[in-house]
Amino acid sequence: MTMFARRLAGHLARGLVMVLVVTTVSFFVIRSVPGDPMAARYEKLVEQGMSPTAAQRAVEVLYGFAPTGSLWQQYVDYMSGLLRLDLGQSLMVPGVGVSTVLFSAAKWTVLPVLAGTLLSFLIGVVMGVYAAIRRSGRLGDVLAISGSLLHGVPQYVLALLLGAVFTTLIPILPTSGTADIMFEPGFNAGYIGSLIEYATLPVLTYALASYGGWILAMKSSVVTVLGDDFILAAELRGIKRGIVFRYVARNAILPLFTILALSLGMLFGGAIFIERIFNYPGLGLMLIDGINNRDYALMGGAFLLITVAIVVANIVADLFYSVIDPRVRSGEGAR
Amino acid sequence: MKRLAAVAALLGLAAVTACSGSTGDKPAAGGSGSGGGLYTTIDGLKPGLDVNGPINPWNPKGNAFLGFNAMRIAWSKNHLTDPNQFYPGIAASWEIAPDNSSITLHLHPGNKWSDGKPVTAEDVKFSIALAYTQGSTAFAIDPGAAGAASEVEVVDEKTVKITQDMDNPSVTFVRGVMDSYIVPQHVWGSVLPADFWDKLKAARGEGAEAEKAREEITALSEKVLAFAPPKDVSAGPFTLERMNPSEALLVKNKNFYNAANVGPDQVKMLNYTGNEQIWNYLIAGKLDNAPFTAVPADVMKRITTTQGNGVVKGYSPVSLGMAFNQSKKPYDNVHVRRGLAYLINRDEVTKIASPEGGTPAVTTTGIHQKPAAEWLGADLAALEPYKLDVAKAEEEFKEAGLKKEGGKWTLPDGTPWKFTVNVPAPFSDWISGAKAVTSQLTAAGIDAEVVTTADYPLYLKELAEGKYDVGFWLIALGPAPYNIYQRLYGVSNGWSILGGKLKHAEPGKNGNWMGGPETIEVDGAKVNPGELTAKLNSASGDEQKKIIGQLAKAANQDLPVVQLWDYVNTQFVNTNRFTGFPENDSDLLRQPSGVWIQLGMVKKKQ
Repeated sequence: MTMFARRLAGHLARGLVMVLVVTTVSFFVIRSVPGDPMAARYEKLVEQGMSPTAAQRAVEVLYGFAPTGSLWQQYVDYMSGLLRLDLGQSLMVPGVGVSTVLFSAAKWTVLPVLAGTLLSFLIGVVMGVYAAIRRSGRLGDVLAISGSLLHGVPQYVLALLLGAVFTTLIPILPTSGTADIMFEPGFNAGYIGSLIEYATLPVLTYALASYGGWILAMKSSVVTVLGDDFILAAELRGIKRGIVFRYVARNAILPLFTILALSLGMLFGGAIFIERIFNYPGLGLMLIDGINNRDYALMGGAFLLITVAIVVANIVADLFYSVIDPRVRSGEGAR
Repeated sequence: MKRLAAVAALLGLAAVTACSGSTGDKPAAGGSGSGGGLYTTIDGLKPGLDVNGPINPWNPKGNAFLGFNAMRIAWSKNHLTDPNQFYPGIAASWEIAPDNSSITLHLHPGNKWSDGKPVTAEDVKFSIALAYTQGSTAFAIDPGAAGAASEVEVVDEKTVKITQDMDNPSVTFVRGVMDSYIVPQHVWGSVLPADFWDKLKAARGEGAEAEKAREEITALSEKVLAFAPPKDVSAGPFTLERMNPSEALLVKNKNFYNAANVGPDQVKMLNYTGNEQIWNYLIAGKLDNAPFTAVPADVMKRITTTQGNGVVKGYSPVSLGMAFNQSKKPYDNVHVRRGLAYLINRDEVTKIASPEGGTPAVTTTGIHQKPAAEWLGADLAALEPYKLDVAKAEEEFKEAGLKKEGGKWTLPDGTPWKFTVNVPAPFSDWISGAKAVTSQLTAAGIDAEVVTTADYPLYLKELAEGKYDVGFWLIALGPAPYNIYQRLYGVSNGWSILGGKLKHAEPGKNGNWMGGPETIEVDGAKVNPGELTAKLNSASGDEQKKIIGQLAKAANQDLPVVQLWDYVNTQFVNTNRFTGFPENDSDLLRQPSGVWIQLGMVKKKQ
């Protein structure tokens, strides 16, 4: 337990430093983004028929919510707010805290990403084992090739293809959205079914985008483990094939947990494209809106949340690695 | 175990999100609606639904959908020239004084809020108080503001009289009043202090006390903008039942004054963030109506192929101009601008860029061609049409001192002339139009190119900073003539009202990105178009018409922009589920479909 606590403390310290660095860098980068959202808002209002004078006043009121003061003062205010877990107010939705906006959007990204990643991980790992064991056979070849192909296809291309197939050619899935509003939210079959239906395409995209990587990585790892002495020894002792399979899988899977953590971060980044294509309003779509509207507070909050998610994922993966790998847990590996 | 984990993940997704986004506990009818049915549309005024938005019509992301659960005093008609024609909203009828000095509103006798309480004149007066904090046109606290109200009087429970300050009247006073949002005082009452009207009275004075009062009222603006009513209490045909990030459900307000004639029982608002989503909805036949959306020709074909889909077209007081930065050479020379106008085939440009949503400009007047015909009459035909004419273009260029060497035009000093037009990348029709223009100019010996900017906010910033030689610019935003010519001879061209007086910034300075001088030559005489434009704010009748004629001629001869195409308001409707939509050229086409519904037009298909 002491070793575990030390590892956890170390990770948290490093994670905190990373968060602070990213927060600082993103703050100044965001403020350097050029563009005049006030002018864009003004143009929108006059196009809708508002008089120039009224439009100007409306814009001035709206941007009264924007941060004021020098850049350094804004930074100090931002960081002090961060210490209070106050990310400021959204410019797009005046009067609503950025935290509220972020967390209401986050679940629509986090859960599909996790579901897709988990799905791809499980299937990829299993298929990777088969691909490795049967690498000299036809099935092994097919699995390996499928992994290579999917691994090379960008997420947004997969999204477009899936969208085209299942919403146009075979229109059995919704084109956009998170759930059918006609079902009242609650733990009932209709609403849950609707959630699953609407999440299918995004989740499937996340899954297929990652599947190829998992199958290739697992195959490689299994091939390496298959050559280890303890496997040969197990086979010589006549241990059942199924048990040997589990020995192989468990050992081969260890390196993939680090990749799992990193892939989560990559998927969060890819969420921007996938949510845009499927009009699935999560963090990605919210970030696009924030950028288009130059909502600095919202942009900063989104980047912070993504950073924290990646850091936490890495910490969890590494700690979990120490749990499942006895050598790391006992500290023997350090020697 | 693996399958169970996958299922558990999805169930977890369902469980965590199951109770999010609800704004009420009243169960929906379910299925496709009941009785009048379910009407599906989008909010054209606010892309992107937001479950966090308050039910507040002033909030830019507020979940107050105009015409559905957000109401105005009246709904403006899309009239060619008169901004003061309306359909009933909160007000059933009204009297406008002949000299535009006042308007008396009569509310619908039987209208109630969705919670059963009557809509009263006090609600209107209170809502006007809220409007003062937002600085609307008719309810401005700035001393000397044009078209501002001087008094708001509750005559009786259903009657309100609003008087204009005639020290600086405006022909758009009535429009400013009618466009006001009306909300229930019994819900919003805590937002304003009890002494608001005393504060307003003080704000209209002079001196430190008045200034303090103005600051206090202005300070209320953020509070109003951020106010979030606990539930939707609407005087419109619907109330907001619940939302999720992609859809909003509104249900019929049985207390609405015209509830018996409201066709749909429920309305579903769909989320969108760009035109592509709207196209996809239309292609899938999901929408009963969609407001104006720029659509490429190939997409339009797919949309109209979908069963039930139809297109309704009408006048839209918007035109697209190619604007010049006259503080840069050679665009400071009117002959260069005229020469360019002669080289651009507007028919071809419009055919390429906006075949469905635009019609080629007849010429450059600064006004959409339809109202231009009304305002100018026979004088319109007397203006230079700038039809494609290479010979005339060459004459103009030579008059400006340009030289043609080796088939290429050069500046007077012999340096190459590089024509660069800038447009924002997201605007596909603008890009197509710009490419068509540059293609035509290139064929005429001008080294022309298109440069795109990442997005509109950046485009506008760089435009205002004077970074562009030439850029696309929306003009003719009417119907009020003052608003129309503000686009050509307003802030963007150096004219602004400061301290109650008209000022002009030098070309290229203080926001004068169009770089126009204070006076220009029209028919051999010096004219100050900014002064003429400012007069339009209060002029009416024959004087108004005369000024418009002068400005149209000024725009035509001086060419601060080349008017390329006049937009057509293209509305999409689907008659599979509902009928009774407005027809072509209806004066309701620019209003949200909620207005059509509340007026009793839209009916369930039998």
